[in-house]
Parts: sequence; structure tokens; C-alpha cells
Amino acid sequence: MIRVKNVRKIYPNGFVALDGIDVHISRNEFVYLVGQSGAGKSTLLSMMYKAEIPTSGDIYIDNIALSNIDANQVPYLRRSIGVIFQDYKLLPRRTVYENVAFALRVMHFSRSRIRRQVTQVLELVGLQQKMHHYPSELSGGEQQRICIARAIVNNPPILLADEPTGSLDPDTSWEIMQLLSKINARQTTVIVATHNKSIVDDIRKRVIAVENGRVIRDEQLGLYNP
Amino acid sequence: MIRDFLFFTTEALISIRRSGIMMFISIATITVSLIVFGIFLLLSANISNLTTYFAAKLEIRAYLKDSTRPDEILDLKTRFEAIPSVRKVEFIDKNTAWEEFKKNYPKIELNTLISDNPLPNAFRIILSDSAKLTTVANHLKGFESVEDVGDMGAIADRITAFSEYTRIAGIILVSLLTFATLLIIVNTIRLTVIARQDEITIMQLVGATTSFIRWPFIIEGLIIGVIGSVFSIVFLIFGYSFFVMRFQEKIPFFPLVYSHFTLNIIYLGIFIVGTTLGVLGAYLSVSRTIKSNY
Ligand SMILES: Nc1ncnc2c1ncn2[C@@H]1O[C@H](COP(=O)(O)OP(=O)(O)O)[C@@H](O)[C@H]1O
Ligand SMILES: [Mg+2]
Repeated sequence: MIRVKNVRKIYPNGFVALDGIDVHISRNEFVYLVGQSGAGKSTLLSMMYKAEIPTSGDIYIDNIALSNIDANQVPYLRRSIGVIFQDYKLLPRRTVYENVAFALRVMHFSRSRIRRQVTQVLELVGLQQKMHHYPSELSGGEQQRICIARAIVNNPPILLADEPTGSLDPDTSWEIMQLLSKINARQTTVIVATHNKSIVDDIRKRVIAVENGRVIRDEQLGLYNP
Repeated sequence: MIRDFLFFTTEALISIRRSGIMMFISIATITVSLIVFGIFLLLSANISNLTTYFAAKLEIRAYLKDSTRPDEILDLKTRFEAIPSVRKVEFIDKNTAWEEFKKNYPKIELNTLISDNPLPNAFRIILSDSAKLTTVANHLKGFESVEDVGDMGAIADRITAFSEYTRIAGIILVSLLTFATLLIIVNTIRLTVIARQDEITIMQLVGATTSFIRWPFIIEGLIIGVIGSVFSIVFLIFGYSFFVMRFQEKIPFFPLVYSHFTLNIIYLGIFIVGTTLGVLGAYLSVSRTIKSNY
């Protein structure tokens, strides 16, 4: 499903963020991308939805080379990849419902279909009671749930999560990870970049460890540290 | 499609409400620029009106040699009429002219001074284009039977030159104004784009196409353009009729432009220019600001 082939990323300032990454992730897998802050996790994820472009090497999604996708097609790539972040990225002046509906509006869904899918996904993430609240009225964990809802509302085959629990307390983090597991079980490939040791060790999945822009370990049901 | 349009328009209105002062400055600028533009258009319409008006009054006299026979005179009339830009050719018999002259200046006891009619036969030639006065006059001089040509070439040349200068000055002024207005609109819209950068980033993240992102801003530009145009047109309509009223009190029969047709075309032109500037400014601004995010 996702194949990273010999990817190097040198930022314009000359910094080598990724130094030859080779990874293959199958359909419906759940993968942790672990490593110190600055290891290159975010850089790798951002290249998967083409927010960054590799300096050399290429990434293939469903055997389509991302280098062949031009700027006009990038929006369509993004529609098949949901992304969530540590800092949520919600629209503060829109309600929970509107924040999620926004994603479908962009894709020209009909009003009735938007209502149906948004209601369904808010139920899945457990926010159906709060859909008319504004993000600022909700807790961190709930805000992250809105983001998850927005990312998966159109059922994309891939969900990328960059430090999704970075701003959350342990209990809430655990709940969010449970939710991501549940989404993974619904036929979604999930990649979580994290340096949250206890999560990785508690909810055991495949672990890909990155250090200084290289993969140093790749193991099924791995631990945070070898 | 209609759903999208409503969405874009709501977004545009929200954005306009949020960026109040900048939007006000932008609308004010476009209004003032369009007013100056309109003043220039009205001025040049009046100058062109004036030129045509004077052109109708401009005439050339071709004085004929005494030896010219009546059949030659008839022949000349048709040949003069065939000259380009000649609208009307009228024969003035020397006797008629003499009688008229005497009637116009009764104080002078002409008969006691001159017994013979000193005036030649002549043609009065009226042109359709004042700019051609000198050309036609020169052409007439070439005829064998034409003794002399009296024209108002100097005046005509001055009127033509004047209208030409105002046209050039106007074009320069309008180009500068257009450019300045465009720049201000681009910057206003850019500020609203920056103010909504988070929103745009999220839109891009969830797969919005660039045109989808661009639409609300285009509509915003359109709204600025329409409001600015309407303000300036209203100002010009009242301003011009006030001017016409005042002017007529001073010089009652001066040939100003009153035709509703001409005025409406000018106002329509202002509206088109205003809205185009709004839309174009928004388009340029968004294109330059958004692209970098892919
Ligand atoms: N736009 C950029 N320009 C220059 N250097 C960058 C840029 N983005 C990230 N980096 C650097 O690349 C390295 C990897 O960053 P990142 O992928 O964000 O790491 P991680 O997500 O693992 O913490 C860091 O040292 C960071 O400073
Ligand atoms: Mg990171």
C-alpha cells in the first residue's frame, strides 16, 4: 500500500532530515513511527501526503509514484489520506459539526450526505452530544477526536497521525489510541508518529524506529526501546 | 454548484466583516479611482462632442476665378462633393454675396466708393471631420479655377491637438490609477488571505482544490469592485448633472454632452472596469499567496 523507496530529504538550509529511508507498509497495517524529537518522523509523514517532496527517492501509494502527482492532483491524493496533528488544527469559529462537515464540503458532497456522514463519524468518536459546541469549549482529548472525525469522515484508506497524544495526559492518550485502533480495525492503514513510550509498549504494534534520518529498527509487535 | 456558490459567498461576507478597516480603505480607493476615471471619460466625451460641434461650424471658402464659366461651376460642385470628409458644398453667387455684404454693413456707403461688385464667386465647403481641414484646403488649391482658399485651419489644428493631448494625458493618468487601484486591492485581499491562512492550510489538508479555495476571495474582490463602482457612479451622476446645471447658467448654449446613451455607456464602462479590477486583484493576490503551500 505505502512503499517508501530510498528517500532522502535535504531541507533548503542544507540539513539532512532523512538519509535513505526504505519502508513498506501493507494495507490495513497499524504502524508506530518512533524516535527522538528531530529524528525525521514528521518529515517522513509529510512526504506521504505531499506537503514535502523528497530530494531523491520516491514514495508509492497503491503503486502510484507521488512524484508523478502534480499540484493539480494533490487535493485528490489528500482526500484518500486523513491526517491529524499534535496541535489539532481546528477552525475556532466553527462548531464541531461544521469543522467535520468542512472536509466533505470541500469534496462537493451533497448536504444530506454530509449530514449523514458527519453524524455517523461523530458517533464513532463519541462526540455526538457536543456537535454544536465550539472547539474551545472542549477538552484536548475531545478536540483531538474532532480532528480524527474530520480526517476519516470520508473513509480514506490511510490515516496519518503525527504525535496525536503529544498534548494529552496519559489516560486521554490511551483513549485516543484505542480510537485509532478501532479505526484501524475498520480497514484503515494507520501510521502513528510518536515518542510516547508507554503507549507503544502498552498497545503493541509494528514499530519502525528512526534515528538521524535512518530506519534503525523495524519489528512486529515491537517495544519502544529494543 | 449553487450550494458551493452560497458557501463561497457566505465565506466572502464573513471575511469582509472581519477585515473591516482594510476593506473600507479598499472600497474608498477603488471609488476615488473610478471617480477620477469617470471624470476623465466625461471630459473626453465633452471634448469630442465639442470638436464635432465645431467641425460642423468649420467651413472652407473656395474663391473662383472670374473667368470660370457657369457649366464649369456646376462641374466643380460635383467634384468638390466627391472629396473625402466633405459634407456639404454650397455655391455662393457673387451678386448674392455682394447684396448680403451691403446689408450687413449698411453704414458703409459702398455704392459711393465702389460701383462694381468686387467679390468673386465662391463655394462654401463644410466638412465632416475638422481634422481634415488643412488637407481639404490644400486639395482645393490644386484646382485650376480656384483663385484662393480661405480656411480656419489654424483653429481646427488647435482643437484637434488639444483633444489629442487630453486623450494622451488621460490615458496615462488612468493607467497609473488602474495600476495603483489594482495594487491596493491585491494587498487588501492578501491581508484577508493571511488572516485566513490557518483555514486555507486546513482546506488544503482535507483536499480542497486551489479553485475551491480561491472562490471566496474572488467573490470578496467582486463585492469590493461592485460597491466601489456603484458609489463612484452615483457620485458621478449627481456631480455631472450639478456641473451641467451650473455651467448652463453661465454659458446657456454651450454644447455639453446630455445624451443618456453616451452617459450610460460611460457609467457602464466604469462598472465593468471596477468589478474587473476587484476580481483581477483578488485572483492575483490569492494565486500569489496560496501557491507556496503545496
Ligand atoms: N522546513 C525545515 N527546514 C529546515 N529544517 C527542518 C525543516 N523541518 C524540519 N527540519 C529539521 O529536520 C529534522 C527532522 O524534523 P522532523 O521531521 O520534524 O522530526 P520529528 O518529527 O521526528 O521530531 C529536525 O532537525 C528539524 O529541525
Ligand atoms: Mg515531529
